[in-house]
Amino acid sequence: MRTSVPPNQQRLGVRRGSPHTRLRIGFVVIAMLLSVFGARLVQLQGFDPNAYAQAAENENLHVQILPAQRGEILDRNGQPLADSADGLMITADPRVTRATAPALATLLATKLNLDYTTLLKRLTGTGGSPSFSYVARQVPAALATEAVDEAEAKGFKGLYTDDDPIREYPAGDVAANIVGFMGTDGPLAGLEKSLNGELAGKDGKETYEVGADGARIPLGPSTTKPPVNGTDIHTTIDRELQWYAQRVLRQADEKSDALNGMAIVEDVRTGEILAMADDPTFDASDPGASPKADRGVRSLSEVYEPGSVEKVLTLSALIDAGKVTPRTKLVVPGELHRQDRVIHDWWSHGTLRLTLAGVIANSSNIGTVLASDRFDDGQLHQYLEKFGLGQRTNVGLLGESPGILPSTAQWNHQIQDRVDFGQSVSVNALQMTAAVNTVANGGVRIDPSLILGQATTDSGQVVGTDEATSRRVVSQHAATAMMKMMERVPDPKTGTAPSTQIPGYRVAGKTGTAQRVNPACKCYDGSLTVSFAGFAPADNPRFTVYVVINDPRSGAAGGGVTAGPVWQKIMSFALRRYGVPPTNTKPSHVPTMWGKGNDPYGRP
Amino acid sequence: MSSTAAAAVRSVRRLTTWADPAALQRARLTVVPRPTRTAPRLPFVALISAVLLAGVIGLLMFNTSMQQAAFVESKLTTQAANLAARQQALQSELQNLNDPQVIAAKAQAHGMVIPGSPAVLHVPAGTISGVPAPASADDTPQLWPHHPKPAAVVPAGKPLVSPSDAVAIKLKKHHHHKHAAASAATQH
Repeated sequence: MRTSVPPNQQRLGVRRGSPHTRLRIGFVVIAMLLSVFGARLVQLQGFDPNAYAQAAENENLHVQILPAQRGEILDRNGQPLADSADGLMITADPRVTRATAPALATLLATKLNLDYTTLLKRLTGTGGSPSFSYVARQVPAALATEAVDEAEAKGFKGLYTDDDPIREYPAGDVAANIVGFMGTDGPLAGLEKSLNGELAGKDGKETYEVGADGARIPLGPSTTKPPVNGTDIHTTIDRELQWYAQRVLRQADEKSDALNGMAIVEDVRTGEILAMADDPTFDASDPGASPKADRGVRSLSEVYEPGSVEKVLTLSALIDAGKVTPRTKLVVPGELHRQDRVIHDWWSHGTLRLTLAGVIANSSNIGTVLASDRFDDGQLHQYLEKFGLGQRTNVGLLGESPGILPSTAQWNHQIQDRVDFGQSVSVNALQMTAAVNTVANGGVRIDPSLILGQATTDSGQVVGTDEATSRRVVSQHAATAMMKMMERVPDPKTGTAPSTQIPGYRVAGKTGTAQRVNPACKCYDGSLTVSFAGFAPADNPRFTVYVVINDPRSGAAGGGVTAGPVWQKIMSFALRRYGVPPTNTKPSHVPTMWGKGNDPYGRP
Repeated sequence: MSSTAAAAVRSVRRLTTWADPAALQRARLTVVPRPTRTAPRLPFVALISAVLLAGVIGLLMFNTSMQQAAFVESKLTTQAANLAARQQALQSELQNLNDPQVIAAKAQAHGMVIPGSPAVLHVPAGTISGVPAPASADDTPQLWPHHPKPAAVVPAGKPLVSPSDAVAIKLKKHHHHKHAAASAATQH
């Protein structure tokens, strides 16, 4: 009989091997696999989990910039001087468009009204990047989409559109000097540049998931940061009045063949600038067509010697100091020898007996100098500083030149003699307007302002009507006395500017005919700066208008003859536009001459 | 197994010597009656499956409709953008028409002028302040800049003459001399 054999050791099963070994090998293999998985798990989750998550998200994440709308620049009545419109830029991939460039260029040239040759160059990519070129920039959105849709309908490929907001200037050249203009990358001049921080706003961003076809997945992750639109800027400018001032000024400049001109209208009580016209100026929607010198603000950047208009400041200071009255009698010789110079009047005369009013009415330099001898040392300098000469008006535009008022250290009697009648001191047009406005405003100088409310410039300055300060420079009595003297100037019987009369209204003003410094030789070359500054109605003024014309070359030039008619037209327009009624009071009757044989209400 | 049953009864008897006979009656073991009905399983399964199916289908449909709405939304957004662009174009045009220069040019084409002297009419009282005068063209400025034509530069020296003119002048001189000679001859 066979002995029983344990099942493990039966000979027939030797080839199958031992299950123990198989198990062990299996366990080892599984353990190795699991440790590989474990290591990978640690690597993915432990070391840099975010990178992978981000990469997965970025696969179909789409980032959209939400452009902020640029603020508008409006006039005082809300009329737009600068506003934004949706625009698109059309870009092309020259690799795709090169093949069909001529036909496509023809289509776009007719549709967008652009030059065919330039379009051809851009579509073939000559002279630029081979894979990207700008075909047209700042095209109105409706027109751009129409053009691209038409091109695609006709089978042209390779055109794309992108946001490119357009800045429009609906008024063209009206107030262009103040508003400025935009270049391709940013603003280049005017309020567009100085208030860019307020106007620009902040772009927003929207990120969301898109599917394969580009349509947004509604339940996917999305974040939105809304854009902050720019703030609108309300200027104090009256668009119609600015237009009229610019046109009248341009006509006068052309007629007298002048180098340039400026005209400013300021509200007497509030200091708001209703018009600030320069000529020549530029069209804000096409700044490249004008020379660079015309693209600034001459009313602030061009300095000149004001001439006889400055007598208004000198003599009102003198009256305020108590040294003279409008009826002070002066003996005015034909010429005055002072130190190394001889001072003349604009007309040659013998010895005249003029009152102070007569000195203003006839614009006598010698009379002014004789009266101003009564100033204490340095007194005139103090007054002129308080009038604002030599300091920037800081209305919020860049490029303002403060002018030159000789400092206290440089001030001597010789300088004072010349400053008395407006030479050896330089001003900009707005500074002078604000100074004359002080007399109109009863002796209180109010800061001129260009912006209603307030705005902060990029350099951190806060400007606007809210920030305007006022200070008393001369007494009410002195201002009234000055006004009465200035009323003699438009009077045809006594004054140098009969062309500035406005029938039915009392007007007060002062002519200026100054020698002009030629910047090339820094000397007086015989050219003139003619001007007229005045306010109306004289006894309750509403507006101060100042007109300056530099270097009128044709015709007999003078403040009353050349600048006077411009002043009269602008003032009439302003009075009529704002419905300012005449005061219906009798004009002042201050005598201009004294002594035997002289008509007290006449001219020498 | 009778032996164990008998043992159980004996033990119960022992335990209930202090209890009442009713409890003893109740404690006698009997066979549990077979249940006549069980809850049907199929409806429950069907309900659960139906809920599951409804949930899945509902979710799918909801998702589909949302995607559909997204397509409609993008189409409408494009339409809105197009309309906004058209509105802007029209607004632009309107602003251009409001430009003071454009208005002035049209007014001038109609023969209108800007009046000069301001005056005020006080309507209730019927009085006039100021000195009104008929409007003339004096206060209307030029609307367009005048660009003076550049002056022609005249070269100093002999004026240019074309070859044919030169021949003509020569012939004329020749005739003149002949004529002069002839007249001189006649005079003598």
